[in-house]
Amino acid sequence: MRPRSLTAFGFLAPYLLIFASFWLWPIIYSFYLSFMSTRRLPWTFNPKMTWGRVVQDPAFYNALENTLTILAIQVPVMLFLATLLAVMLNSTLLRARGLIRFAFFAPVVIGEAAYAAVFRLMFNTEFGVINKVIESVGLPPVEWFSNPDAAMALIIMAVTWRWVGYNAIIILAGLQSIPQDVYEAATLDRVSPRQQFLYITLPLLKPVILFCLVLSVIGSMQLFAEPYLITNVGGPGGATETLGLYLYRQAFLNLNFGYASAVAYTIAALAVMISALNLWIGRDKT
Amino acid sequence: MASVTLEKVAKSYGSHKVIHGADLNVKDGEFVVFVGPSGCGKSTLLRMIAGLEDITSGDVSIGETRVTDMVPGDRGVAMVFQSYALYPHMDVARNMSFGLRMQGNDKADTDARVGNASVVLQLKQLLARLPKQLSGGQRQRVAIGRAIVRKPQVFLFDEPLSNLDAELRVQMRVEIARLHSELAATMIYVTHDQTEAMTLADRIVVLRDGNIEQVGSPLELYHDPDTAFVAGFIGSPRMNFLAGRTENWADGLQSVALVNHGDKIVKIPTRSALATGEEVTVGVRPEHLLAGKAAVGGFAITADVVEHLGATTYIYAGARSENPLIVARTDDHADTVGDQVTILPQVGKAHLFDTNGMRIR
Amino acid sequence: MSQQNAASRKRAIALHAVIVPLALIWVFPIWMMVVFATRPDSAIFSPKVLLTPGNRFWENFNLLQDDLNFTRTLFVSVVVAVVYTVLSMILTSMAGWALARYKFHGRIAVVGIILGTMTLPYFVVVIPQFILVARDFGLSNTWVALIVPPLFNSLGVLFMRQAFSMMPAELFDAARIDGVSEWKIFLHVGLPLARPMLAALAIILFLASWNNYLWPLLIANDTSMMTAPVALGSLFGLVDVSWGGIMVGAVLMTAPMLAVFVFLQRFFMAGITAGAVK
Repeated sequence: MRPRSLTAFGFLAPYLLIFASFWLWPIIYSFYLSFMSTRRLPWTFNPKMTWGRVVQDPAFYNALENTLTILAIQVPVMLFLATLLAVMLNSTLLRARGLIRFAFFAPVVIGEAAYAAVFRLMFNTEFGVINKVIESVGLPPVEWFSNPDAAMALIIMAVTWRWVGYNAIIILAGLQSIPQDVYEAATLDRVSPRQQFLYITLPLLKPVILFCLVLSVIGSMQLFAEPYLITNVGGPGGATETLGLYLYRQAFLNLNFGYASAVAYTIAALAVMISALNLWIGRDKT
Repeated sequence: MASVTLEKVAKSYGSHKVIHGADLNVKDGEFVVFVGPSGCGKSTLLRMIAGLEDITSGDVSIGETRVTDMVPGDRGVAMVFQSYALYPHMDVARNMSFGLRMQGNDKADTDARVGNASVVLQLKQLLARLPKQLSGGQRQRVAIGRAIVRKPQVFLFDEPLSNLDAELRVQMRVEIARLHSELAATMIYVTHDQTEAMTLADRIVVLRDGNIEQVGSPLELYHDPDTAFVAGFIGSPRMNFLAGRTENWADGLQSVALVNHGDKIVKIPTRSALATGEEVTVGVRPEHLLAGKAAVGGFAITADVVEHLGATTYIYAGARSENPLIVARTDDHADTVGDQVTILPQVGKAHLFDTNGMRIR
Repeated sequence: MSQQNAASRKRAIALHAVIVPLALIWVFPIWMMVVFATRPDSAIFSPKVLLTPGNRFWENFNLLQDDLNFTRTLFVSVVVAVVYTVLSMILTSMAGWALARYKFHGRIAVVGIILGTMTLPYFVVVIPQFILVARDFGLSNTWVALIVPPLFNSLGVLFMRQAFSMMPAELFDAARIDGVSEWKIFLHVGLPLARPMLAALAIILFLASWNNYLWPLLIANDTSMMTAPVALGSLFGLVDVSWGGIMVGAVLMTAPMLAVFVFLQRFFMAGITAGAVK
């Protein structure tokens, strides 16, 4: 081997060691596990108990449906909001920019446990401030934690609150990387601000928004802490049980590692498929 | 100081050959300039001498030592880069001493060497500044100082002046020439600028497509080029190339008819006769074309563009064609566009090339 | 000119009419965190809506300490996050340097696999990680288990690779010619030049570790080794628990990160946007 290659591997080795032990080996091992019945010792090769079960388990389909529902509503709403925010935050007309940025970006640094606690109190059915507001306009209070649809809405709102700023930061950076002279040229060509946004800004932002979309899809597929902490481990009655939560239950409460691994690989396959579909739809048509 | 020897040095990236086996001997204390158009491999060859690029085959020796497989730091070379490559986070003194410090050189010696270099290069007042606080010329001097401090066997320069403006470039050129004579050091210098090559070099190496085209002193290359490529590359403005057809040969002079200029015959000295009716190219430099009254018996051209530089006037004929004819007049004649000018190649100053661009002597 | 001014004035008013209420909604939960943390439970669970902070922070803090030793969990969180950040920065900056500055066989494969970690859900990895660490090595409730497995995170590698590959190659060539060893070039030229990127990476890594929930939940169930988020979450389901105390915990978890965000915003933004915009 050339000395340069040796040096390179010297620099890489410590990370690769960790990476191989805690990422590469696990994904191979969990693939192996996904074919093993692990209900009782010794573990035996029995894909019927793992992959066979995935396709016919109603609890899995429930979790899948919940996850896809959250994904289908939350991701588009959040990305629309994030784009809107980024454009507004980028406006030269904006005053108190620092404070307003703080409002949207601060949730990004807040841990799930901390914000779950606040949301639980704010949405408390009897005493929560949200229901007080709803009642003050003459509507009946919402049973946030016992009505399945309301619980789902709560999860979607919480996740959107937490992540919209994160996506807005990325889109804002994308906006700021568009050279200003493009807009100056367009203005001289008598292109209106609205047209500039539609025909210059959006097309140039597309790769960034697509990047956010893929990140959000992967994130949503792995949603775990919010339903675990806010809606009492996927309550009411599994109405907010996500794939992540279902997997957690199977792997770490039932200790059924083999089946959980099959579920994990199913989630991975779905995440990759949905991301690929997004990228394919958003590809540059030439 | 030491000599540098290249033996059949070649480099390829996969199947793509970039240097085709170069042989060269740079003498101790010599100033050699690699010159050629971009992509000719001159920088690659320099970096192979430095050890920054792997050598696919062949050998490089510095002094008596074969350095082909040595890391750059062990070869005893110092290099000045086009971008200066100053460490942005270190002040001038620390930039110059970095290599020595990292190798654990004695501190007093390091300080003394930095002190000397800063005197030679007038950097004394700038030692505590960061690179971003320096002008382009100052940065260039620091980069040279960093090379001097290492007391190398060989100095390597990779287009060191191309980032400077025209005036500074001339100034630094003179400074590098002064350094060469003061240090009596072996220097190898890469440039695409033939003026730098002509003014600095003891010998010039002209490269083309990864091959050494010709090696020689600046005046050898100017007066006696081996190929049309070298003839065209050395000298400014470029040599004129005129299509010709061989006629008779007598008394060491080959007659050639200029086919695009009414078959006007020019006589060029050659050792032997060429077959009659062969296609050849006549090369004659703009400054070797007599014009006006001096060009008795010459042929007429029409001036399309005229540039008055004061001492010299350049006349371009056929400016819209791919290969305009350029005449340099120094006889103070105020030509204007559209004028007919009679010209004639000076006897003995024109060169003859075959269809492959090789010189016919 | 005045016509143009009037138009932009109208646009400014419309802009603020949208963004200011939205911003208020977005800070509201953070505000309420402070309100809840400083009010007694009797006020939190009362029909009257309270929107202003009280003065019961220390009382609530003591209630939280009674429910569980929260200062210990904060200590665990700080140690884990600091050690993780330092180790991860060392590992990933070295790896990023290798991938950015050397050409070697398998480089593209390594980059490809590392990029893969970003897209593959963590769940695929976490089950065997747990089996390996908890069952095979019996390392539950240890510092090693909390800190080492999450080091596989490849964000830093890609981040530092990007940072190092933007630096001009001639700089490192100059050092090589000066006879400086590769390790010293990394240490004395590469790293100092990457300082702003290292700062951004440190913030992102620290934040990720500080807020990490799933892995510590799995690997540390002993109260003496729980991290703050896990400990806080463990209180949610309990019947006889001080919610004012929980909110004090939430504030203590959140306030340092908000401070980091406010004072080091530039690095924070750089950390988040790296990789997205090239």
